[in-house]
Amino acid sequence: MPTSVSAHADARDSIVLDVSGMTCASCAARIEKKLGKVDGVSASVNYATNKALVLAPAGMDVADLIKTVEAAGYGASVPEPDAPPPPDPADALRRRVVVSASLAIPVVLIGMIPALHFMGWQWVSLVLATPVVAWAGWPFHRSMWVNLRHGATTMDTLVSLGTVAAYLQSVYALVVGSRSAMGPDVYFEAAVSIVTFILLGRFFEARARRSAGSALEALLNEGAKQATLVRDGVELLVPADVVAVGDIIVVRPGEKVAADGLVVEGMSAIDASLITGESVPVDVSPGSPVVGGTVNTTGRLLVQATRVGADTQLAQMARLVEQAQTGKAAVQRLADRVSGIFVPVVISIAVLTGIGWALAGAAPNVAITTAVSVLIIACPCALGLATPTALLVGSGRGAELGILISGPEILESTRLVDTIVLDKTGTLTTGVMSVAEVVPLAGTDSGTLRDVVAAAEAGSEHPIGRAIAALGSPLVAADFAAVPGRGVTATVGDLRVQAGSVALLEDRGIGVPEALTRAASDAALLGRSVVLVAWDGQARGLVSVSDTAKPTSAKAVAAYRALGLRPVLLSGDSTAAARHLADQLGITDVVAEVSPADKVAKIRELQDAGATVAMVGDGVNDAAALAQADLGIAMGSGTDAAIAAGDLTLMGSDPVHAADAIRLSRVTLRRIKGNLFWAFAYNVAAIPIAAAGLLNPMIASAAMAFSSVFVVSNSLRLRRFQPLP
Amino acid sequence: MQSTYTVTGMTCGHCVAHVTEEVQAVPGVNEVQVTLEGGRMVVTSDAPVDFAAVKEAVAEAGEYEVVPA
Repeated sequence: MPTSVSAHADARDSIVLDVSGMTCASCAARIEKKLGKVDGVSASVNYATNKALVLAPAGMDVADLIKTVEAAGYGASVPEPDAPPPPDPADALRRRVVVSASLAIPVVLIGMIPALHFMGWQWVSLVLATPVVAWAGWPFHRSMWVNLRHGATTMDTLVSLGTVAAYLQSVYALVVGSRSAMGPDVYFEAAVSIVTFILLGRFFEARARRSAGSALEALLNEGAKQATLVRDGVELLVPADVVAVGDIIVVRPGEKVAADGLVVEGMSAIDASLITGESVPVDVSPGSPVVGGTVNTTGRLLVQATRVGADTQLAQMARLVEQAQTGKAAVQRLADRVSGIFVPVVISIAVLTGIGWALAGAAPNVAITTAVSVLIIACPCALGLATPTALLVGSGRGAELGILISGPEILESTRLVDTIVLDKTGTLTTGVMSVAEVVPLAGTDSGTLRDVVAAAEAGSEHPIGRAIAALGSPLVAADFAAVPGRGVTATVGDLRVQAGSVALLEDRGIGVPEALTRAASDAALLGRSVVLVAWDGQARGLVSVSDTAKPTSAKAVAAYRALGLRPVLLSGDSTAAARHLADQLGITDVVAEVSPADKVAKIRELQDAGATVAMVGDGVNDAAALAQADLGIAMGSGTDAAIAAGDLTLMGSDPVHAADAIRLSRVTLRRIKGNLFWAFAYNVAAIPIAAAGLLNPMIASAAMAFSSVFVVSNSLRLRRFQPLP
Repeated sequence: MQSTYTVTGMTCGHCVAHVTEEVQAVPGVNEVQVTLEGGRMVVTSDAPVDFAAVKEAVAEAGEYEVVPA
């Protein structure tokens, strides 16, 4: 569907087209011109975003417009609605698990219960087991083959070898003979349960992995979706990506700025916290630069776009995130690391076993079957459960505690986080402005100053004014007037009050005493916003407003230290402001005045120095740093971009939960390691039995059952994980 | 007969195509050859072509300037 929004003044539709084939800015000009020749049509084409915004008479056929563009030598199409979500990898696994399990259960029952050993039961098992080993187990065989070509052995190698060995051995026993008293020794149940269990484990893992949202997409979604464009004196609501450089856009209070640009008309305060992480709003007036994605708070602004699409600061940050994410090497799974050593050893033992038996004078078929039995017993089916069950239980317990683990594999990789990097605004502080200090000049009572200014600001829409008004006041103001960019004036009782900047007071001819100037610059050094207050022609004092520490921040920092972590405060704010907060919370390492790119660089620097870094943040400006960190922890109260870039999300905004998240990931990792040990232990213990030629299906099943039960119950112990009080 | 002009402001093959297409449409023009490098344009016609018409055609094609070579 074309986005068709009626213009206010005339009956023209605005239509958005995707244009392809443009190679330079003159192509865009060319298409504009061609479209402009169609009766009643005017168009603007954005080369950077490959979009054309066409104003056409109502009822105009879009196909005609597309033809016009095509006649100019370019392609055009109606923009696709959002692409359908990609298929869930868990779905494909589910099918394999279901097929595999429904065939495996009869095989295991027949094999393990002697009462079910009817005539020719082995042949029925063969028929049922064949699709399990061949089709359901196909991903393992393929992966083994791929790895083999790189000379690598992984868990898949072990699974593929074990199941194929068990299957072929059984077929051989059935067809050729090698009968024991009970008939041919077949290991079909071993083969099918390994495949089923490992697939089940993979399925759990795929389910536990929250659909890894693209951080990039989330980041770009932080930008404005729509823009109000002024074209020929008419305001048009259009998708934000058709805005071209030079366009004038209207930004009303509460709206997001749709592109980077310059203010050409109006005054307002811009909340740039999303982009810069700074909670102090920035006052803008004609000539001030504004950044796309920031929020206009009080006044209506006209902004001329200077950078659009891929050139905006938001898009640059998105690229930063992408780079950090792609630069992060995939960490090898623990099970694969273990298998990398285990598999060659097992193969060597099998070969040696075969050679040993042959040298001892055994018949070749006996030597080979014994060697193969080593391969059969070496593949523990609990191996497939070791990691996923621990992750499943760990992430489930985490979810109960408000810790969402997006990439469970991250728990395997974090090993020992030893440094925790903390964003300031929104992570350790509330991110909301509140009054920090009320400083009366000599001769003025502090309580009076407070009450008067709170009343005077009651009508204010400016974020700083609202923070002061939030103090509450028994007094009532009249004649409220906002002086854009300066402050407010009001009458409180019989006092004529001015509250705002130095300029506001000077405009009114009110002198600012030196004591007040000093107090103001002291407060400014701490990163606070200062409002000077005067009444009846005389300066009376000041109120400073700032972002304050969360009540639990100090406790959180202590908890990080107790876990052996070194806290580092990383902030885009001024050094003084960051230092001030760090002192309050007991943090000694402070890095301030950093851009989003610097944040990434700082984390890389710590990593290069050998630290394993966790990063806690909430803003768009933290997204790249979260992606770069070994463990990215996003505040759930933060932006979607941060959440998508992080590995863990804390519901709510309590930094203490970050300590719980790290404790949980440590204990989960410990369980995974324990599981892997026991998964291998029972089977390793059975290897000598196999090498001695004594392996039978009973022993194989017992080893498998014991290790599986142990692994599952060990994982379930994670349910008892308790958060910090 | 052939007339040669210099076109400035062209940045890519598309620009060449635009200019060629527009100048081709000028009455009396048989053939137009434009090269991106150097901006050389050779117009083949039976009778001399009015420069003003060429200039207008080039302007129509986009943000380009043309001068007789």
